Amino acid sequence: MDEEQTGGYSDICGQCGEVDWGVSDEGRFYCRSCHNVIERTKEVVDTNTFMIGTSRVSSISKGTRRKKLEQGREWMVCEGFQFILKHQAEALLAMGVCPQFKDDVLCQFWRMYLQKSQQAYTKNPVHDGKFRLRSQGSGESDSAPESSVMSDSMMSASETDGDGDLASGGGSVSGHTSDGVSSVCSGSIDAVSYLTPRQRRNQGLMSMPKTLALCHLALMWAREAITLADLLRFVNEGHIPYVNAYEDFPEEMKVYGRDALIFRVESIPSYRHLHKEAQTLAVFLELPLFPSITLDCLLHPSLLTLRYLTEANLPDELHDWVCRIMEKAGMEESVTFEPMRSRSPLPHYDVQAAALIIIAMKLLFKLDDHTEWDLSNDASDKNKENPDGNSFNLRRWYRTMQTALTAAARRQQDNIARKLWKAQKPLYTSKKDKPVVLKRRRMAEQLQLSFQKLSGSPLAPPSSPPSSFCFRWGEGEDVRDGPSLHHQTLDSSVRQRGASLQPSNPEYWHPALRACKPRFCKSHYAEVEVTLPRMYVWLLDLFSFLLGVKPGCVYEEVLKVERRFLRSSKSQPRARATPRKTQPKKLPKCKQTRKTCSR
Amino acid sequence: MDDLESELRVPGEEQVENESSDDDESIIRKRIKKPNLPLAPPIFKETPRETGFHKTTRNCLQHIREVLLHHRWQNAAEYMASYSQTLEDTTANMPQLYAEIIWRIGTEILHHHPDSKLEDYNSFYERVKHSGVKHYLKVCLEHSFHLLVNGQFEDAKRQLSIAESWRYGKQSAGQSQRIKLIQAYSGFLNYFIWCDKKATASSTDEYDAAVNQEMHSYFRQSSVNLKEIMKLPGVWDPFVLSYIDMLEFYNDHEGAVKVLNDYAYDNSFPPNPNAHVYLYQYMKKQNHPLKKLLKVLKILHTLVPSHELMPEYCSLLVQSEKEGDLQKALGVVLDLLDYSSWRSNLDVWNHLMNIIKRLRMKKQWLKIFGEEMGCRKDWWLAIHFSTFQARKDSVENRELLEVKSFVVGAFCPRYTSMYCGVGKEARKRLTSEAQKAKRNPKQLRNIRRLKRESGQKSQD
Repeated sequence: MDEEQTGGYSDICGQCGEVDWGVSDEGRFYCRSCHNVIERTKEVVDTNTFMIGTSRVSSISKGTRRKKLEQGREWMVCEGFQFILKHQAEALLAMGVCPQFKDDVLCQFWRMYLQKSQQAYTKNPVHDGKFRLRSQGSGESDSAPESSVMSDSMMSASETDGDGDLASGGGSVSGHTSDGVSSVCSGSIDAVSYLTPRQRRNQGLMSMPKTLALCHLALMWAREAITLADLLRFVNEGHIPYVNAYEDFPEEMKVYGRDALIFRVESIPSYRHLHKEAQTLAVFLELPLFPSITLDCLLHPSLLTLRYLTEANLPDELHDWVCRIMEKAGMEESVTFEPMRSRSPLPHYDVQAAALIIIAMKLLFKLDDHTEWDLSNDASDKNKENPDGNSFNLRRWYRTMQTALTAAARRQQDNIARKLWKAQKPLYTSKKDKPVVLKRRRMAEQLQLSFQKLSGSPLAPPSSPPSSFCFRWGEGEDVRDGPSLHHQTLDSSVRQRGASLQPSNPEYWHPALRACKPRFCKSHYAEVEVTLPRMYVWLLDLFSFLLGVKPGCVYEEVLKVERRFLRSSKSQPRARATPRKTQPKKLPKCKQTRKTCSR
Repeated sequence: MDDLESELRVPGEEQVENESSDDDESIIRKRIKKPNLPLAPPIFKETPRETGFHKTTRNCLQHIREVLLHHRWQNAAEYMASYSQTLEDTTANMPQLYAEIIWRIGTEILHHHPDSKLEDYNSFYERVKHSGVKHYLKVCLEHSFHLLVNGQFEDAKRQLSIAESWRYGKQSAGQSQRIKLIQAYSGFLNYFIWCDKKATASSTDEYDAAVNQEMHSYFRQSSVNLKEIMKLPGVWDPFVLSYIDMLEFYNDHEGAVKVLNDYAYDNSFPPNPNAHVYLYQYMKKQNHPLKKLLKVLKILHTLVPSHELMPEYCSLLVQSEKEGDLQKALGVVLDLLDYSSWRSNLDVWNHLMNIIKRLRMKKQWLKIFGEEMGCRKDWWLAIHFSTFQARKDSVENRELLEVKSFVVGAFCPRYTSMYCGVGKEARKRLTSEAQKAKRNPKQLRNIRRLKRESGQKSQD
């Protein structure tokens, strides 16, 4: 097989269905089993198109380029990640993220990362001895203008000549050539060193989940309205390249062997995992204080809760209550993130906003499986008495929401079952595997085709354009989930008392706000779930579905906000710690806070 | 009380395990706690460290099973399209299993999908064949079966010959057996061609040497393969029949009997009543002596006492002059009557009546009777001569009632009155009612009129 010549071209021959290509002397492709000559000739791709930076390297002679193309050019793993990040950033830009995001934020973060992990911008790169960057003036890279160094360091591998006079390059060049032994097991130069146990323990090296973590940090820095839950949803829906992102590499960057272990993606990281990853990455990068989230930014709880109220089809009037709670809990002033302060965790704005809404619901409707239904009866009575009345009826909302939720969950299940994970260009870990992997790919493709023909419907579920919302409420053609309840009023569940509005439900309950040891305790949700009112659990489930997190995560966040909220309102009347008889008595550390609140 | 408590605790605890479970032990514990239903263990379980890809394939398989159960073939085909990516599972420890799942479910869908055509089958089988070496021969065989069902005789034969010439690596035991089976089937198809030729040859009436030659060559090809498979233990009924048919045509009767004898009496073969049936039928056709026939049928009787050849066996025994055969015949008939399908068969009861008539003339009648009825005496009369049975017989088959009355009279006179009385009574009632109706047509008319009037009244 002259794989180097055919460049891994692996389409099926139109005549005989085999994949066994050879290249004739004129450079044309022919099938070696039926001698069918096809249109394709050996491709010569412009090496310069894959640069991020602006500077071009134009001194590549034709002869050397040809040889390089045959074997793929030399590249480094971090270069691959750079491509992936670039594509992810471009996808985000296409979604309407501000244009400075890519160059001024993500690119800076990436450079900082390269420097911190000693892969570039340093006098002694991490792969010293095996690989050293050739800088223009030897050892000047730190003082050189950043952009040129950046592109230079990325491009240095391709700049090295493949025609034998490696030493004539002046500085030290890569110790590995693509026709050396090491190239057998990986396409990139340093994949082997990437996978050594020491490097893995070090945790400074890039990985696929970390690209998303980096994007998340950059989005937060840029104060963009894409939360972590949104980012994950977009990745899941395929709007941001992640699964098989290596397919977009330029053709002469061959990915195989050990690279497969680095770039192959078989699952999308969970919210919790990514959150943790982002936090460690921020500490690793020693990022300074993040720009504060002010009221004009969509990440601010005030605006984010409004968004989730719309998503959950709750009346807009509820937002006033959410804002009041926010005020009481002291969350109005900017919440921001300072990685280098140990007591400043990376905030998750989305879960926090959901928690605020849940607390507002609890305040108004109590959610103890009794009061909310009594209030719903009142509201329906009121609506009957007064036909123009537009009172929010929790029961009606619950029914609408439940139907939509069931349908959405089924849609999600269906999408999971029909998601395609495998790439067009499959990865193989060793040369020995290659024919097997290619054959399997071909088999799967053909089977897909035949069943597709039989069912007459497209393979992947139809992808909708990226949207911040899962549900569509309202009246009109575009609606699939039911009528909108946003304009409804809360007049049946609040009443005027003195100058201010008060909820007609006089009591508030919360689970025991026990002090947890953050290191040793995991989520207590599983233990207490059975003792909680069903409506409350349902609400937790609803938001956990919307955000793609576990219900326990929302529960913990609610508790956290409740703690702040209740601490700040110590003098208030009628807040009960334990609402029901079912409250577990065995919880030892539970502080039965019978605090009085004045609202 | 304890059970209730443990049941109530389950959901919470399961979640705890979900959160923290990294070890397999907790999963096992969880499985044990589930209600003990006789379900097959799931092949693909949810594990704590499941990748997204595995989650997708697991869910997809579940969806496919669901839509298959609901006969939604269209949806099943849709899911199947995305399920084929399991073939590319890089961490698969059982790629053959995936290939097999796709093969089995895929054919099921093709069988039921309204739009599936033969081309779809062909292309599907071709692809599945190459997805895993282990299934190549099985799939080939199934493919040719499908072609045969659809009347594509030539294509089916070609599939078999492709499979015959296929070789891969070291031959495993299963593989060589499958190859033998495939050869046998190709021999079987050769027999069909032979039959065709025979039919054309006999229709033309002229002796054609060329046709005859051709027929003979097919016979040879076929017989080589068929003989080969018959050496292996197994149930080869169609193969045996076709081979015997050919041997008979070429007048090789001894060979045929030998083949049948081997097939019937080889102990390494699984017990197969048909083998004895074929042997008996062939011997009967060739006018073998009664003694030999009886010997074959005796074995068949021990294998299947309710076989449809048993009445014939019985009459043969009655015919034979040998001492003791009559008692044997009695035993055979009584055995037959133990099976519900024969219980109201007039022929069998007639046999029984004749045997009793002849036995009663002998001295040892009571002794023979005691021997045969010994194990049945508790229930035999009750099952055959109940009042319910009598009523049923009198309605369905009068002749049977009479034969049975005779039998019960011979066996147990005490019972006779009960059985016959009911029978007669029922008969009497029937006849009297019919006669009444016949005698008095006026009455009938009156009744009808009354009915009509009352109907009108209620309408008013």
